[in-house]
Amino acid sequence: MLQAVNGAFAPAAEARHAGILVMSVDAPLPHPDLLAAIPRLRRYARVLTGDATRADDLVQETLARGWEKRRLWAAGTDLRAWLFTIMHNVFVNQRAVAMRDAQNVSLDGDGEGGAAWQVPVRAPQQAHVELLEVFREMSRLPPEQREVLVLAAVEEMRYEEIAAVLSIPVGTVMSRLSRARARLRRSVSDAGSDPVTPLKIVR
Amino acid sequence: MSKPPISDDEVHAWADRQLPPDRRAAFEQAMAREPALAAKAAEIERQNAWLRDGLDELLHEPLPPRLVDAARVPPARRSWRWLATAAVSAASLLVGLGGGWYLRDAALELAGTPTTFAQEAAFTHALYAGDVNRPVEVWAPEEKRLVAWLSKRLDYPLRAPDLNSAGYALVGGRLVAGNERPTALFMYENAAKQRLTLQARKQAPGTDETAFRYSVEDGIGVYYWVDDQCAYALSGSLDRAQLLRIGRLVYAQLSSPEAPK
Repeated sequence: MLQAVNGAFAPAAEARHAGILVMSVDAPLPHPDLLAAIPRLRRYARVLTGDATRADDLVQETLARGWEKRRLWAAGTDLRAWLFTIMHNVFVNQRAVAMRDAQNVSLDGDGEGGAAWQVPVRAPQQAHVELLEVFREMSRLPPEQREVLVLAAVEEMRYEEIAAVLSIPVGTVMSRLSRARARLRRSVSDAGSDPVTPLKIVR
Repeated sequence: MSKPPISDDEVHAWADRQLPPDRRAAFEQAMAREPALAAKAAEIERQNAWLRDGLDELLHEPLPPRLVDAARVPPARRSWRWLATAAVSAASLLVGLGGGWYLRDAALELAGTPTTFAQEAAFTHALYAGDVNRPVEVWAPEEKRLVAWLSKRLDYPLRAPDLNSAGYALVGGRLVAGNERPTALFMYENAAKQRLTLQARKQAPGTDETAFRYSVEDGIGVYYWVDDQCAYALSGSLDRAQLLRIGRLVYAQLSSPEAPK
Protein backbone atom coordinates (compact mmCIF):
# COMPACT_ATOMS: atom_id res chain seq x y z
CA MET A 1 0.00 0.00 0.00
CA LEU A 2 1.23 3.45 -0.80
CA GLN A 3 2.18 5.72 2.02
CA ALA A 4 2.92 9.38 2.33
CA VAL A 5 6.65 9.78 2.73
CA ASN A 6 6.56 13.18 4.28
CA GLY A 7 6.56 13.78 8.01
CA ALA A 8 3.83 16.32 7.40
CA PHE A 9 1.37 13.50 7.15
CA ALA A 10 2.22 11.80 10.38
CA PRO A 11 -0.81 13.45 12.04
CA ALA A 12 -2.99 12.10 9.23
CA ALA A 13 -1.63 8.60 9.80
CA GLU A 14 -2.41 8.86 13.51
CA ALA A 15 -5.84 10.23 12.77
CA ARG A 16 -6.51 7.20 10.61
CA HIS A 17 -5.75 4.87 13.47
CA ALA A 18 -8.10 6.82 15.64
CA GLY A 19 -10.80 6.54 13.01
CA ILE A 20 -10.94 10.27 12.41
CA LEU A 21 -11.48 11.56 8.92
CA VAL A 22 -9.06 14.01 7.44
CA MET A 23 -11.00 16.09 5.02
CA SER A 24 -8.52 18.35 3.37
CA VAL A 25 -4.99 18.32 2.09
CA ASP A 26 -2.63 20.02 4.52
CA ALA A 27 -1.11 23.30 3.50
CA PRO A 28 2.51 22.83 2.44
CA LEU A 29 4.94 23.43 5.26
CA PRO A 30 7.17 26.49 5.35
CA HIS A 31 10.51 25.99 3.68
CA PRO A 32 13.09 25.76 6.48
CA ASP A 33 15.72 27.93 4.82
CA LEU A 34 13.23 30.64 3.96
CA LEU A 35 11.75 30.46 7.43
CA ALA A 36 15.18 30.83 8.95
CA ALA A 37 15.84 33.94 6.87
CA ILE A 38 12.72 35.79 8.00
CA PRO A 39 13.93 37.36 11.28
CA ARG A 40 16.90 39.03 9.60
CA LEU A 41 14.83 40.10 6.61
CA ARG A 42 12.30 41.64 8.99
CA ARG A 43 14.94 43.48 10.93
CA TYR A 44 16.49 44.89 7.78
CA ALA A 45 13.05 45.78 6.38
CA ARG A 46 12.35 47.60 9.62
CA VAL A 47 15.47 49.63 9.23
CA LEU A 48 14.68 50.38 5.58
CA THR A 49 11.07 51.42 6.12
CA GLY A 50 11.12 52.56 9.74
CA ASP A 51 7.61 51.14 10.14
CA ALA A 52 6.50 47.71 11.40
CA THR A 53 3.61 47.11 9.01
CA ARG A 54 5.42 48.35 5.95
CA ALA A 55 8.40 46.22 6.95
CA ASP A 56 6.32 43.05 7.07
CA ASP A 57 4.67 43.94 3.75
CA LEU A 58 8.14 44.27 2.31
CA VAL A 59 9.25 40.89 3.69
CA GLN A 60 6.12 39.20 2.39
CA GLU A 61 6.67 40.63 -1.07
CA THR A 62 10.33 39.58 -0.92
CA LEU A 63 9.47 35.97 -0.05
CA ALA A 64 6.89 35.83 -2.84
CA ARG A 65 9.39 37.15 -5.37
CA GLY A 66 12.01 34.79 -4.01
CA TRP A 67 9.77 31.87 -4.91
CA GLU A 68 8.93 33.25 -8.32
CA LYS A 69 12.56 33.86 -9.10
CA ARG A 70 14.07 30.83 -7.44
CA ARG A 71 15.45 29.59 -10.75
CA LEU A 72 17.52 32.77 -10.93
CA TRP A 73 19.15 32.10 -7.61
CA ALA A 74 22.73 31.06 -8.33
CA ALA A 75 23.39 27.87 -6.45
CA GLY A 76 26.44 28.25 -4.28
CA THR A 77 25.71 31.84 -3.37
CA ASP A 78 24.38 32.92 -0.01
CA LEU A 79 20.59 32.62 0.16
CA ARG A 80 20.36 35.43 2.69
CA ALA A 81 22.31 37.85 0.46
CA TRP A 82 20.11 36.90 -2.49
CA LEU A 83 16.94 37.60 -0.51
CA PHE A 84 18.39 40.90 0.73
CA THR A 85 19.06 41.82 -2.90
CA ILE A 86 15.45 41.10 -3.84
CA MET A 87 14.24 43.11 -0.86
CA HIS A 88 16.42 46.06 -1.73
CA ASN A 89 15.06 46.08 -5.29
CA VAL A 90 11.45 45.81 -4.15
CA PHE A 91 12.03 48.65 -1.68
CA VAL A 92 13.66 50.91 -4.24
CA ASN A 93 10.82 50.31 -6.70
CA GLN A 94 8.19 50.99 -4.08
CA ARG A 95 9.94 54.18 -3.08
CA ALA A 96 10.15 55.31 -6.69
CA VAL A 97 6.41 54.74 -7.11
CA ALA A 98 5.64 56.55 -3.86
CA MET A 99 7.74 59.51 -4.92
CA ARG A 100 6.01 59.69 -8.27
CA ASP A 101 2.62 59.59 -6.57
CA ALA A 102 3.47 62.29 -4.07
CA GLN A 103 5.99 64.54 -5.67
CA ASN A 104 6.06 67.16 -2.97
CA VAL A 105 6.68 64.66 -0.19
CA SER A 106 10.33 63.90 0.10
CA LEU A 107 10.94 60.37 1.29
CA ASP A 108 14.54 60.51 0.45
CA GLY A 109 15.74 63.97 1.36
CA ASP A 110 18.76 64.33 3.53
CA GLY A 111 17.28 64.52 7.01
CA GLU A 112 13.76 65.17 5.77
CA GLY A 113 12.41 61.66 6.02
CA GLY A 114 13.56 61.09 9.57
CA ALA A 115 10.30 61.98 11.26
CA ALA A 116 8.50 58.94 9.83
CA TRP A 117 11.26 56.52 10.69
CA GLN A 118 10.51 54.59 13.87
CA VAL A 119 12.44 51.62 15.07
CA PRO A 120 12.02 50.16 18.55
CA VAL A 121 15.36 50.22 20.27
CA ARG A 122 16.20 48.17 23.28
CA ALA A 123 17.66 50.54 25.81
CA PRO A 124 19.82 48.69 28.32
CA GLN A 125 19.49 49.25 32.05
CA GLN A 126 22.01 52.02 32.33
CA ALA A 127 20.37 53.70 29.34
CA HIS A 128 23.22 54.54 27.11
CA VAL A 129 22.68 58.11 26.12
CA GLU A 130 25.08 57.43 23.30
CA LEU A 131 23.09 54.47 22.00
CA LEU A 132 19.97 56.57 21.81
CA GLU A 133 21.91 59.36 20.16
CA VAL A 134 23.26 56.98 17.57
CA PHE A 135 19.76 55.81 16.69
CA ARG A 136 18.38 59.32 16.66
CA GLU A 137 21.03 60.31 14.19
CA MET A 138 20.45 57.14 12.19
CA SER A 139 16.84 58.17 11.69
CA ARG A 140 18.11 61.31 10.00
CA LEU A 141 20.54 59.59 7.68
CA PRO A 142 19.66 59.35 4.01
CA PRO A 143 18.31 55.82 3.42
CA GLU A 144 21.28 55.03 1.18
CA GLN A 145 23.70 55.61 4.02
CA ARG A 146 21.52 53.87 6.57
CA GLU A 147 21.30 50.65 4.60
CA VAL A 148 25.03 50.43 4.01
CA LEU A 149 25.68 51.10 7.68
CA VAL A 150 23.27 48.41 8.86
CA LEU A 151 24.47 45.80 6.38
CA ALA A 152 28.07 46.37 7.48
CA ALA A 153 27.66 46.92 11.21
CA VAL A 154 24.63 44.80 12.10
CA GLU A 155 24.40 42.16 9.38
CA GLU A 156 28.19 41.97 9.28
CA MET A 157 28.23 41.50 5.53
CA ARG A 158 31.46 41.82 3.62
CA TYR A 159 31.80 45.04 1.64
CA GLU A 160 31.77 43.09 -1.63
CA GLU A 161 28.50 41.42 -0.61
CA ILE A 162 26.96 44.78 0.27
CA ALA A 163 27.99 46.12 -3.13
CA ALA A 164 26.31 43.14 -4.79
CA VAL A 165 23.12 43.44 -2.71
CA LEU A 166 22.76 47.14 -3.48
CA SER A 167 24.14 46.98 -7.06
CA ILE A 168 26.71 49.68 -6.39
CA PRO A 169 30.52 49.71 -6.62
CA VAL A 170 32.53 48.83 -3.51
CA GLY A 171 33.96 52.37 -3.55
CA THR A 172 30.45 53.76 -3.13
CA VAL A 173 29.84 51.37 -0.23
CA MET A 174 32.95 52.73 1.48
CA SER A 175 32.15 56.39 0.92
CA ARG A 176 28.56 55.98 2.19
CA LEU A 177 29.80 54.05 5.19
CA SER A 178 32.37 56.71 5.96
CA ARG A 179 29.82 59.53 5.72
CA ALA A 180 27.25 57.67 7.82
CA ARG A 181 29.77 56.98 10.57
CA ALA A 182 31.08 60.51 10.58
CA ARG A 183 27.55 61.78 11.18
CA LEU A 184 26.93 59.36 14.01
CA ARG A 185 30.24 60.36 15.56
CA ARG A 186 29.35 64.04 15.42
CA SER A 187 25.93 63.40 16.92
CA VAL A 188 27.36 61.55 19.89
CA SER A 189 29.90 64.26 20.55
CA ASP A 190 27.22 66.96 20.74
CA ALA A 191 24.60 64.77 22.38
CA GLY A 192 21.29 66.15 23.57
CA SER A 193 20.89 68.95 21.06
CA ASP A 194 17.47 67.86 19.78
CA PRO A 195 14.64 67.04 22.19
CA VAL A 196 12.36 65.61 19.46
CA THR A 197 13.03 61.95 18.90
CA PRO A 198 11.33 59.41 16.65
CA LEU A 199 12.64 56.65 18.87
CA LYS A 200 10.33 54.37 20.73
CA ILE A 201 12.09 52.97 23.73
CA VAL A 202 11.30 49.38 24.50
CA ARG A 203 11.54 48.68 28.22
CA MET B 1 60.81 48.76 2.90
CA SER B 2 58.06 51.13 3.92
CA LYS B 3 54.48 49.88 4.08
CA PRO B 4 51.66 51.83 2.39
CA PRO B 5 50.03 54.33 4.78
CA ILE B 6 46.73 53.51 6.50
CA SER B 7 43.71 54.59 4.47
CA ASP B 8 40.33 55.65 5.82
CA ASP B 9 38.77 52.54 4.25
CA GLU B 10 41.13 50.39 6.27
CA VAL B 11 39.96 51.95 9.52
CA HIS B 12 36.44 50.80 8.67
CA ALA B 13 37.64 47.41 7.50
CA TRP B 14 39.55 46.89 10.74
CA ALA B 15 36.54 47.80 12.90
CA ASP B 16 34.29 45.59 10.76
CA ARG B 17 36.76 42.67 11.02
CA GLN B 18 37.33 42.74 7.29
CA LEU B 19 40.92 43.94 7.09
CA PRO B 20 43.01 41.36 5.21
CA PRO B 21 45.39 39.52 7.54
CA ASP B 22 48.48 40.88 5.77
CA ARG B 23 47.51 44.44 6.75
CA ARG B 24 46.44 43.81 10.32
CA ALA B 25 49.88 44.00 11.89
CA ALA B 26 50.67 47.26 10.08
CA PHE B 27 47.35 48.69 11.18
CA GLU B 28 47.81 47.77 14.79
CA GLN B 29 51.31 49.24 14.83
CA ALA B 30 49.94 52.46 13.36
CA MET B 31 47.26 52.54 16.07
CA ALA B 32 49.93 52.25 18.72
CA ARG B 33 51.76 55.21 17.18
CA GLU B 34 48.76 57.44 16.50
CA PRO B 35 46.21 57.83 19.31
CA ALA B 36 43.81 59.63 16.95
CA LEU B 37 43.68 56.61 14.67
CA ALA B 38 43.14 54.26 17.60
CA ALA B 39 40.35 56.49 18.93
CA LYS B 40 38.62 56.57 15.56
CA ALA B 41 38.76 52.79 15.16
CA ALA B 42 37.50 52.26 18.71
CA GLU B 43 34.67 54.73 18.09
CA ILE B 44 33.50 52.76 15.04
CA GLU B 45 33.62 49.52 17.02
CA ARG B 46 31.52 51.16 19.74
CA GLN B 47 28.99 52.39 17.19
CA ASN B 48 28.74 48.89 15.76
CA ALA B 49 28.09 47.44 19.19
CA TRP B 50 25.39 50.03 19.89
CA LEU B 51 23.67 49.37 16.59
CA ARG B 52 23.75 45.61 17.12
CA ASP B 53 22.53 45.89 20.72
CA GLY B 54 19.77 48.27 19.79
CA LEU B 55 18.45 46.18 16.92
CA ASP B 56 18.95 42.75 18.47
CA GLU B 57 15.46 42.73 19.97
CA LEU B 58 13.89 42.79 16.52
CA LEU B 59 15.29 39.33 15.77
CA HIS B 60 13.35 37.81 18.64
CA GLU B 61 9.90 39.11 17.83
CA PRO B 62 7.38 36.33 17.11
CA LEU B 63 6.81 35.77 13.41
CA PRO B 64 3.45 36.93 12.08
CA PRO B 65 1.48 34.05 10.47
CA ARG B 66 1.31 35.79 7.11
CA LEU B 67 5.10 35.69 6.81
CA VAL B 68 5.23 32.02 7.79
CA ASP B 69 2.62 31.45 5.06
CA ALA B 70 4.76 33.35 2.59
CA ALA B 71 7.59 30.87 3.25
CA ARG B 72 5.47 27.86 2.36
CA VAL B 73 6.33 25.93 -0.75
CA PRO B 74 3.72 27.04 -3.26
CA PRO B 75 1.90 24.13 -4.93
CA ALA B 76 3.63 23.16 -8.15
CA ARG B 77 0.47 22.85 -10.17
CA ARG B 78 -2.75 24.38 -8.93
CA SER B 79 -5.10 22.27 -11.00
CA TRP B 80 -3.40 19.10 -9.84
CA ARG B 81 -3.78 19.99 -6.21
CA TRP B 82 -7.35 20.96 -6.71
CA LEU B 83 -7.94 17.51 -8.15
CA ALA B 84 -6.17 15.95 -5.20
CA THR B 85 -8.30 17.89 -2.72
CA ALA B 86 -11.42 16.79 -4.51
CA ALA B 87 -10.21 13.21 -4.51
CA VAL B 88 -9.51 13.26 -0.79
CA SER B 89 -12.96 14.66 -0.11
CA ALA B 90 -14.54 12.06 -2.34
CA ALA B 91 -12.58 9.32 -0.64
CA SER B 92 -13.51 10.61 2.79
CA LEU B 93 -17.12 10.59 1.77
CA LEU B 94 -16.74 6.96 0.74
CA VAL B 95 -15.25 6.19 4.11
CA GLY B 96 -18.15 7.96 5.70
CA LEU B 97 -20.43 5.59 3.85
CA GLY B 98 -18.47 2.63 5.16
CA GLY B 99 -16.19 2.48 2.14
CA GLY B 100 -12.60 1.33 2.08
CA TRP B 101 -9.43 2.98 3.18
CA TYR B 102 -7.82 2.06 -0.05
CA LEU B 103 -9.29 4.94 -1.98
CA ARG B 104 -8.39 7.36 0.71
CA ASP B 105 -4.79 6.21 0.71
CA ALA B 106 -4.74 6.56 -3.03
CA ALA B 107 -6.08 10.08 -2.61
CA LEU B 108 -3.41 10.92 -0.07
CA GLU B 109 -0.83 9.65 -2.48
CA LEU B 110 -2.32 11.84 -5.18
CA ALA B 111 -2.27 14.81 -2.84
CA GLY B 112 1.39 15.06 -3.56
CA THR B 113 2.87 15.00 -0.11
CA PRO B 114 5.77 12.79 -1.17
CA THR B 115 6.51 15.38 -3.81
CA THR B 116 6.91 17.90 -1.03
CA PHE B 117 9.65 15.78 0.46
CA ALA B 118 11.28 15.54 -2.96
CA GLN B 119 10.88 19.30 -3.48
CA GLU B 120 12.50 20.00 -0.18
CA ALA B 121 15.29 17.56 -0.85
CA ALA B 122 15.95 19.18 -4.24
CA PHE B 123 15.96 22.68 -2.77
CA THR B 124 18.30 21.64 0.01
CA HIS B 125 20.50 19.89 -2.53
CA ALA B 126 20.69 23.04 -4.66
CA LEU B 127 21.45 25.14 -1.62
CA TYR B 128 24.39 23.11 -0.34
CA ALA B 129 25.73 21.20 -3.36
CA GLY B 130 26.37 24.52 -5.07
CA ASP B 131 28.34 25.86 -2.14
CA VAL B 132 31.96 25.64 -3.16
CA ASN B 133 33.58 26.50 0.13
CA ARG B 134 31.28 25.21 2.79
CA PRO B 135 28.91 22.55 1.47
CA VAL B 136 29.07 20.60 4.72
CA GLU B 137 29.49 21.27 8.42
CA VAL B 138 31.60 18.22 9.16
CA TRP B 139 34.02 16.94 6.54
CA ALA B 140 34.65 13.35 5.46
CA PRO B 141 37.88 12.85 7.45
CA GLU B 142 35.69 13.05 10.56
CA GLU B 143 33.13 10.61 9.19
CA LYS B 144 32.80 8.69 12.44
CA ARG B 145 32.04 11.81 14.42
CA LEU B 146 29.69 13.02 11.69
CA VAL B 147 27.68 9.79 11.63
CA ALA B 148 27.52 9.62 15.42
CA TRP B 149 26.36 13.23 15.66
CA LEU B 150 23.67 12.93 12.98
CA SER B 151 22.45 9.60 14.39
CA LYS B 152 22.08 11.23 17.77
CA ARG B 153 20.21 14.24 16.38
CA LEU B 154 17.84 12.08 14.32
CA ASP B 155 17.55 9.49 17.07
CA TYR B 156 18.13 6.85 14.43
CA PRO B 157 21.26 4.82 13.67
CA LEU B 158 22.50 6.24 10.37
CA ARG B 159 25.26 5.19 8.05
CA ALA B 160 27.02 7.07 5.30
CA PRO B 161 26.99 4.66 2.36
CA ASP B 162 30.25 4.07 0.53
CA LEU B 163 29.71 5.18 -3.08
CA ASN B 164 33.32 4.93 -4.23
CA SER B 165 32.40 2.06 -6.54
CA ALA B 166 30.13 4.49 -8.38
CA GLY B 167 32.90 7.09 -8.51
CA TYR B 168 31.55 9.28 -5.71
CA ALA B 169 33.53 10.03 -2.57
CA LEU B 170 32.02 11.31 0.66
CA VAL B 171 32.54 15.06 1.10
CA GLY B 172 30.93 15.24 4.53
CA GLY B 173 27.56 16.08 5.97
CA ARG B 174 25.37 18.44 7.89
CA LEU B 175 22.14 18.69 9.81
CA VAL B 176 19.27 20.37 7.96
CA ALA B 177 16.00 21.66 9.39
CA GLY B 178 13.25 19.52 7.90
CA ASN B 179 9.47 19.46 8.17
CA GLU B 180 8.92 18.92 11.89
CA ARG B 181 11.93 16.63 12.02
CA PRO B 182 15.64 17.17 11.57
CA THR B 183 17.14 15.86 8.36
CA ALA B 184 20.65 14.46 7.94
CA LEU B 185 22.50 15.28 4.75
CA PHE B 186 25.49 13.41 3.35
CA MET B 187 27.24 14.88 0.35
CA TYR B 188 29.28 13.04 -2.27
CA GLU B 189 31.40 14.27 -5.15
CA ASN B 190 32.93 12.62 -8.22
CA ALA B 191 36.15 13.46 -10.07
CA ALA B 192 34.25 15.91 -12.30
CA LYS B 193 33.11 17.76 -9.14
CA GLN B 194 29.50 16.72 -9.63
CA ARG B 195 27.75 16.39 -6.33
CA LEU B 196 25.09 14.08 -4.98
CA THR B 197 23.29 14.39 -1.68
CA LEU B 198 21.63 11.72 0.36
CA GLN B 199 19.13 13.10 2.85
CA ALA B 200 17.57 11.02 5.58
CA ARG B 201 14.88 11.69 8.12
CA LYS B 202 13.17 9.48 10.62
CA GLN B 203 9.53 8.66 9.96
CA ALA B 204 6.66 8.25 12.36
CA PRO B 205 6.35 4.68 13.69
CA GLY B 206 4.04 2.54 11.61
CA THR B 207 5.09 4.00 8.29
CA ASP B 208 5.31 1.27 5.69
CA GLU B 209 8.13 0.80 3.28
CA THR B 210 7.81 2.24 -0.17
CA ALA B 211 9.34 1.45 -3.51
CA PHE B 212 11.65 3.90 -5.19
CA ARG B 213 9.89 6.96 -6.46
CA TYR B 214 11.40 9.44 -8.81
CA SER B 215 10.71 13.06 -9.55
CA VAL B 216 12.49 16.00 -11.14
CA GLU B 217 12.39 19.27 -9.24
CA ASP B 218 13.88 22.33 -10.89
CA GLY B 219 16.16 20.17 -13.01
CA ILE B 220 17.37 18.10 -10.06
CA GLY B 221 16.52 14.42 -10.10
CA VAL B 222 15.36 12.98 -6.77
CA TYR B 223 14.90 9.31 -5.84
CA TYR B 224 13.14 8.78 -2.56
CA TRP B 225 11.95 5.86 -0.56
CA VAL B 226 11.05 4.79 2.98
CA ASP B 227 12.92 1.96 4.57
CA ASP B 228 12.65 0.80 8.15
CA GLN B 229 11.23 4.01 9.61
CA CYS B 230 13.60 6.26 7.75
CA ALA B 231 12.85 8.25 4.61
CA TYR B 232 15.67 8.82 2.15
CA ALA B 233 16.09 11.16 -0.78
CA LEU B 234 18.99 10.91 -3.19
CA SER B 235 19.36 14.07 -5.26
CA GLY B 236 21.64 15.08 -8.09
CA SER B 237 21.78 16.55 -11.56
CA LEU B 238 22.18 13.10 -13.12
CA ASP B 239 19.95 11.29 -15.53
CA ARG B 240 17.38 8.93 -14.18
CA ALA B 241 19.22 5.70 -14.98
CA GLN B 242 22.46 6.83 -13.30
CA LEU B 243 20.63 8.11 -10.25
CA LEU B 244 18.63 4.90 -9.96
CA ARG B 245 21.81 2.82 -10.18
CA ILE B 246 23.34 4.78 -7.29
CA GLY B 247 20.03 4.69 -5.44
CA ARG B 248 20.04 0.92 -5.54
CA LEU B 249 23.60 0.87 -4.30
CA VAL B 250 22.64 3.09 -1.36
CA TYR B 251 19.58 0.98 -0.66
CA ALA B 252 21.55 -2.26 -0.74
CA GLN B 253 24.18 -0.95 1.67
CA LEU B 254 21.71 0.55 4.11
CA SER B 255 19.54 -2.55 4.24
CA SER B 256 22.44 -4.93 4.82
CA PRO B 257 22.64 -5.76 8.54
CA GLU B 258 26.34 -5.03 9.02
CA ALA B 259 28.05 -1.82 8.13
CA PRO B 260 30.33 -2.48 5.16
CA LYS B 261 34.03 -1.67 5.61
